[in-house]
Amino acid sequence: MAQPQTADIETALIEQAQHGDRNAFGELVCRYYPAMVQVVYRLCGDTGLAEDMAQEAFLRAWINLPSFRPQSSLRNWLYRIAVNATLDVLRRRKEETLEDEAAQMVPDQAAGPETTLIEKEQVALLQQAMRSLPEAARSVLVLREYGGLSYQEIASVLDVPVGTVMSRLNYARNRLRELLKPQLLQLENEYA
Amino acid sequence: MHENMRASLNAYLDGELHGTRLREIKLHLASCESCRNELKELRIVSGLLQAVPAPQFMPAERFASNLTLSLPRRTQRDLPPKPGSLAWWLVPAGLLAAWFFVRTVFTLTGVVTTVQMTGLIGQAANWLGGGQEAAWFAAVTSLFGGQAGGAAPTLSLLNALDVYGANLLDGFLWQALIVLLYWGWLFAWWFCRRPRPMNTENAKLI
Repeated sequence: MAQPQTADIETALIEQAQHGDRNAFGELVCRYYPAMVQVVYRLCGDTGLAEDMAQEAFLRAWINLPSFRPQSSLRNWLYRIAVNATLDVLRRRKEETLEDEAAQMVPDQAAGPETTLIEKEQVALLQQAMRSLPEAARSVLVLREYGGLSYQEIASVLDVPVGTVMSRLNYARNRLRELLKPQLLQLENEYA
Repeated sequence: MHENMRASLNAYLDGELHGTRLREIKLHLASCESCRNELKELRIVSGLLQAVPAPQFMPAERFASNLTLSLPRRTQRDLPPKPGSLAWWLVPAGLLAAWFFVRTVFTLTGVVTTVQMTGLIGQAANWLGGGQEAAWFAAVTSLFGGQAGGAAPTLSLLNALDVYGANLLDGFLWQALIVLLYWGWLFAWWFCRRPRPMNTENAKLI
């Protein structure tokens, strides 16, 4: 007997969750939490906040799930909720603690004990460079690099035209290129 | 030309170019060292981003079980309508029943009128009203190919256009209305079930 397709299983889970089945919703959470929390973490650079935002996004999804159209992509919908929730919090935090900005630039220490000192420096530089990007450009970059979304999907998640996605991505990567120029030169020499 | 190509380097790197545009940029890269270097740097930037280690997060199962415990209760009002619910099927069933009723009334009246004209049932069908009402039923059914007196009743009634015209129009309007309602229901069903892009419909939910 043929195995049911993954998409069919997901559609069934969505319909069950729409009718209040918490276990079905839990299954969906298990499927999407790992990718979602990664994307949120790359946006905010804070492990605790990433988990909180993932929880907030799933709660909002649960509340709005009855009106969700199963023909749409659940992953993209969840990303959209999570990105919006995270950007809202980051904006609020920025307004509240402008004077504390230097403290926010400290890299997250949860990057793993196995990370060497040099790697930690690189990670810190990258995180700093990422945080210096405007939110709009950072969101596009994160969804592309860590979410693995196509330009069309990013456009759908952020509700912007594909052309805007391309220009924001160009800006973000070129800005990172400028900020990381010394590291790039070093790496180019290593690979030369 | 060069700037135009530079703007497409990221799309090329991400595999988002196809067809002519892809061939153009490949040709350009073969001859432009500056763009090749830029592409190389973009690739390294992308690789660096991918190489940044991710912290350990709570396992998905634990996260899900904690979350499901804190989910708020759903009210009945929040529940989506079931696509196969009785209300959805009552609409077309009701319309079909209405259409069937109208057709049955026409047919039976035609049969009774014909039988009455042949005198087989005597005066038993006089309660139908006789006169104008019975005549226009016969006329309408004869128009639709019925046997209620053949063409003769129709021809005779052409002189009484006030009755004939009004009742014929009523008959058509009934059927047209039922057809329109049925199409309307089909359209509503399609409209509710059609796939939509996330940013038009589901975006409003967030």
